[in-house]
Amino acid sequence: MSAVLAEAAPVDRLNEIWETPRGWRGSISSVDHKTIGKRYLVTSIAFLVIGGLEALMMRSQLAVSGERMLSAGAYNELFSMHGVTMIFLYAAPVLSGFSNYIWPLMLGARDMAYPRLNALSYWTYLVAGIFLYTSLPLGAMPNAGWFDYVPYASREYNPGLNIDFYALTMILLAVSTTVGSINFITTLFKTRAPGMSLNRMPIIVWGTLTASVANVFALPALSAAAAMLFLDRRIGTHFYDPAAGGHPLLWQHLFWMFGHPWVYVIVLPAMGIVSDALPTFCRRPLVGYTFVALATVMTAMIGFGVWLHHMFATGIAPLALAFFGAASIFITIPSAIAVFAWLGTLWDGKPWYPAPMKFMLGFIALFVIGGVSGVMTAAVPFDWQLTDTYFVVAHLHYVLVGINVFPVIAGVYYWFPKMTGRMMDERLGTWNFWTLFIGANLVFFPMHIVGLLGMPRRIYSYPAGLGWDAYNLIETIGAFVFAAGVALFAFNVWISRRRGRIAGPNPWDAGTLEWSVSSPPPPYNFAVIPTVGSRHPLWEDRLGEGSARSVLAKGPLLADGRETFATTPLDAEPSAVLQMPEDTYVPLALAVSIGIIGYGLLFGLWWLAAIGGIAAAACAIAWLWPARVEKDDRQIETEFGELPVGSSGRHSVGWWGMACVVATEAAFFGYLLFSYFYLGSLSTNPWPDDVPRIGLPILNTLILIASSVAVWFAGRGIRRNRNNHLVAWLGTAIVLGVVFISLQLVEYGREKFSMTHDAYGSLFYTITGFHGAHVLVGLVMLVVVFVRATLGHFRPGRDEAVRNVSLYWHFVDAVWLVVFTSLYITPHLR
Amino acid sequence: MSTETDIPSRISPPTDTLSRACFRFAAMPCIAFLVACNGTSSYLDATGRAGRSEGKLGIWLTSIASAVVLLVCIAIIIGITRQRTARDREVSVERTRIASGLNWIYFGTGATIVILIAVFIATMVTLTAAAHPPAIPSLTMDVTGHQWWWEVTYSDASNPELGFTTANEVHLPVGIPVRVRLHSTDVIHSFWLPQIAGKMDVIPGQTNETWLEAERAGTSRGMCAEYCGLQHASMALAVKAESPAEFNKWAQQRRSDAPAPVTREAFVGQTVFFRSCGACHAVTGTPALGRVGPELTHFASRPTIGAGALENTPQNLARWIHNAPAMKEGVRMPAMPLDSAEMRAVVAYLETLR
Repeated sequence: MSAVLAEAAPVDRLNEIWETPRGWRGSISSVDHKTIGKRYLVTSIAFLVIGGLEALMMRSQLAVSGERMLSAGAYNELFSMHGVTMIFLYAAPVLSGFSNYIWPLMLGARDMAYPRLNALSYWTYLVAGIFLYTSLPLGAMPNAGWFDYVPYASREYNPGLNIDFYALTMILLAVSTTVGSINFITTLFKTRAPGMSLNRMPIIVWGTLTASVANVFALPALSAAAAMLFLDRRIGTHFYDPAAGGHPLLWQHLFWMFGHPWVYVIVLPAMGIVSDALPTFCRRPLVGYTFVALATVMTAMIGFGVWLHHMFATGIAPLALAFFGAASIFITIPSAIAVFAWLGTLWDGKPWYPAPMKFMLGFIALFVIGGVSGVMTAAVPFDWQLTDTYFVVAHLHYVLVGINVFPVIAGVYYWFPKMTGRMMDERLGTWNFWTLFIGANLVFFPMHIVGLLGMPRRIYSYPAGLGWDAYNLIETIGAFVFAAGVALFAFNVWISRRRGRIAGPNPWDAGTLEWSVSSPPPPYNFAVIPTVGSRHPLWEDRLGEGSARSVLAKGPLLADGRETFATTPLDAEPSAVLQMPEDTYVPLALAVSIGIIGYGLLFGLWWLAAIGGIAAAACAIAWLWPARVEKDDRQIETEFGELPVGSSGRHSVGWWGMACVVATEAAFFGYLLFSYFYLGSLSTNPWPDDVPRIGLPILNTLILIASSVAVWFAGRGIRRNRNNHLVAWLGTAIVLGVVFISLQLVEYGREKFSMTHDAYGSLFYTITGFHGAHVLVGLVMLVVVFVRATLGHFRPGRDEAVRNVSLYWHFVDAVWLVVFTSLYITPHLR
Repeated sequence: MSTETDIPSRISPPTDTLSRACFRFAAMPCIAFLVACNGTSSYLDATGRAGRSEGKLGIWLTSIASAVVLLVCIAIIIGITRQRTARDREVSVERTRIASGLNWIYFGTGATIVILIAVFIATMVTLTAAAHPPAIPSLTMDVTGHQWWWEVTYSDASNPELGFTTANEVHLPVGIPVRVRLHSTDVIHSFWLPQIAGKMDVIPGQTNETWLEAERAGTSRGMCAEYCGLQHASMALAVKAESPAEFNKWAQQRRSDAPAPVTREAFVGQTVFFRSCGACHAVTGTPALGRVGPELTHFASRPTIGAGALENTPQNLARWIHNAPAMKEGVRMPAMPLDSAEMRAVVAYLETLR
């Protein structure tokens, strides 16, 4: 197959292959990244509106002192829901929406690496949102704030379903976000267009990549914390219970280990939007591309080392305070790099100011205000005054409204023509900008001042005479101005969708790849796969930077079914032709099943949870079973050489996904073991009198190691084309795994302490229990691969499933070695 | 109780240097503005030793922050107004040297780093000053956070005789550091007297320590700063800093038993109190020994009812006793079914508890 001219591409055939059928069937089965991206955007902005209405109710109450329009209980639920909605249901998903929509277009691919996971990620997000808001009709909305500190969130002080809604929503959202992040990471490393090397990627791609990696490692902290909270509340464990060896600060550590990286998750892609769109309006490439890309990565890395700055007033030793204070001060440096890169671009360019540009310039101002107030809160002793006051509320809203909402709206104005084919109204856009910009400053700036005047956050009412009244009134007026701005934005979207000027493929004369295709893009994105030669494929002739030229008009067609290239991680050289999945209902069904599990757990209906679990397992098997099995080693001759069809090879697309799963699961166990050692370190007598005996676990460890060896031999068998070896060794591994689990149950029966006795027991059973669950999942995967092996699905080089299950199984064994050392050996060392 | 000789030698405040003077000048509008607002809980103009050093750092940071924001905004505005081209998309993308504009990053980031190092040094200096008291205090306050009120117990290592408990009020002897131990019987609270010092969380299962030292006499408002449930908004403390002599007088009085009622009505009220209130509230020197609610031995001389929910007047007191949950939803004190004579009597009795 040689290169095809884009004009000569059989567009009808491509359409037929890639188009989602119209009607409701098509809409619930679609796996098109553009459809999913738009859904993410619309859904998250709907949640922005809901969260905004909650804020308006709160602001109305606070407009004057002593107002009691809302009861204390209602107010407390409102601020909790406002936070959870904005941070979890709006701020992150809206960025996923942009990235989903534009990544493949920017990277020159026809879809994300895992289109079905993409659909699952969206549906699970929607299910989680609906799940959370069923607390409204039930009158049990979460009421302990978005960071939900125990023990107020424990059953003793908060007996309703409120916090159960919170804990389960967090777990559902963690599933959605983790799945989405794994998809972004794999897409980035495996499905960029030929020539789209790492140093040519737009900054939003860097931002979302960084955020996704951060998610993989940070979200398990939240999942672990929420799971332990749910167990404390519903099973009677003692993770957070100081009376039985637990500690409330464990929650805070875990929550902020998640929470601070999360702050960067919800701003880095938004900063990327600006880094990519601002240069378009300054008519020159971004100043300091490499610096900005590295700064993005650096921010997230430092972001993992600053969580303690949310806990400066919890009684931590001054030395630790100094360290975390320093990290929190100096994390500003990469952000400063970005700000000066934007300023440099502005000054060195020839700017013009349509609506998106206005929002981006407003963003820079808000960003700097939010940034410097962040430095102020990083100064430990002053933070002892600032923390938990309205100053912090001001800071976090400047950060989230400034760095998330403004770039998001700029991004909508910028990419709306790409998504719909029409321009947004420019005059409305100007009005829109000024209402939002003035509104934002009116509502949030005075919060700095009342914060400095000593107004604590999260109070449903305040007495007169403290000097807070006037500022609060201004804030409330500002909130309504801001709300008017959001309404204007929605109106502009609505009217422009119908009557906007026709945009054409590149209305802004921008330089990146997404503007090379028609607006809106065809279902297959690119008629032929482009080859990228520089950072600005559409500006190359004018910039004259070097001789590299992108080839957009001519390229491989890849039209035998849904196909796109798999490329190498760093240089993006094609390594295989991927066959992408068709539209399917399975992601929706799986998300609904997960939701059913959630409701089952919430109401304590174990049968309902079991139904959900069985449905989810059925969906997973339907998902994993291959749609077709390559009977021969088909190779396609392309201009990039002969490429295998379908995912294959040592580090295939599937391998990357599994590697990400392993990374996030490893982090999950890391957080559990952190909890174990943290609580142990706080206790004078961390272990019970009858520490776990070591004999049986040693035997079990040997058995698990043996199973890993068996899995290794199985893989070697198929690599040497001996299917019977594969089958035999897989069978051996399965038997050994079953023996391991059985012996673990025997050991449980012999232990003298229980899960609900104290925090030690809770941790012991939770950690080994989660490990056992992983062994179980590994066993199911081994069985599926075993069955497929007996059916002869695998051949040398066509053994992706074997490689992936081996990776998982070795991981489960490696985790066991750490668990074994921590839980069984450490107590004997005292 | 501490005598004058126990007062630790005061470190003399550093003399003003030129840079300090310049800085003061720069910060002046800021201070003037905030002082003009005159919140009783503004901490930029603090009256406590730790609070003062924190507030100084705060004013310094606020000034730097304002300057940075101003400079960036000016840079944006000039960047916009100096534009060299028509407002048009037809402007071609420039042929630029890839390095042009990089000076913004070099100089901007360089300046940022210099400022941040200064911020870091100032932070560490203040941290050292604010983290520990200048001398080991002998006077100790054990503060216990409850949903939603404060129990305060004073003790003195140099005078074991001194020891008394009060609620929702803190008195501080000017110039004498006080050690504070923080306890919680339920959820997490945060103990905050903005005028005196920064906050410290009150965490069940962990006793946090901090210290307070008032430098000027005066009253202010303290409060719970960590969201702790329904009435987090209504968990305030009355703070009074006074001379050591006045403090001693107050402590003496707080340490004494409640005066016996002298009027007939108050005497009747005391009987009602023992019957209806004594299970939850304590009045020392009487059979009322309850520990569920705030102790009331000198209740009448405390400025508020219900941890700042109401001003302490006889009318408010009657309303409170009649139906506390209506005044402060969620409070553990139930509505008391007293007839009007009993109510008058019990209020009369409580008013004698000075």
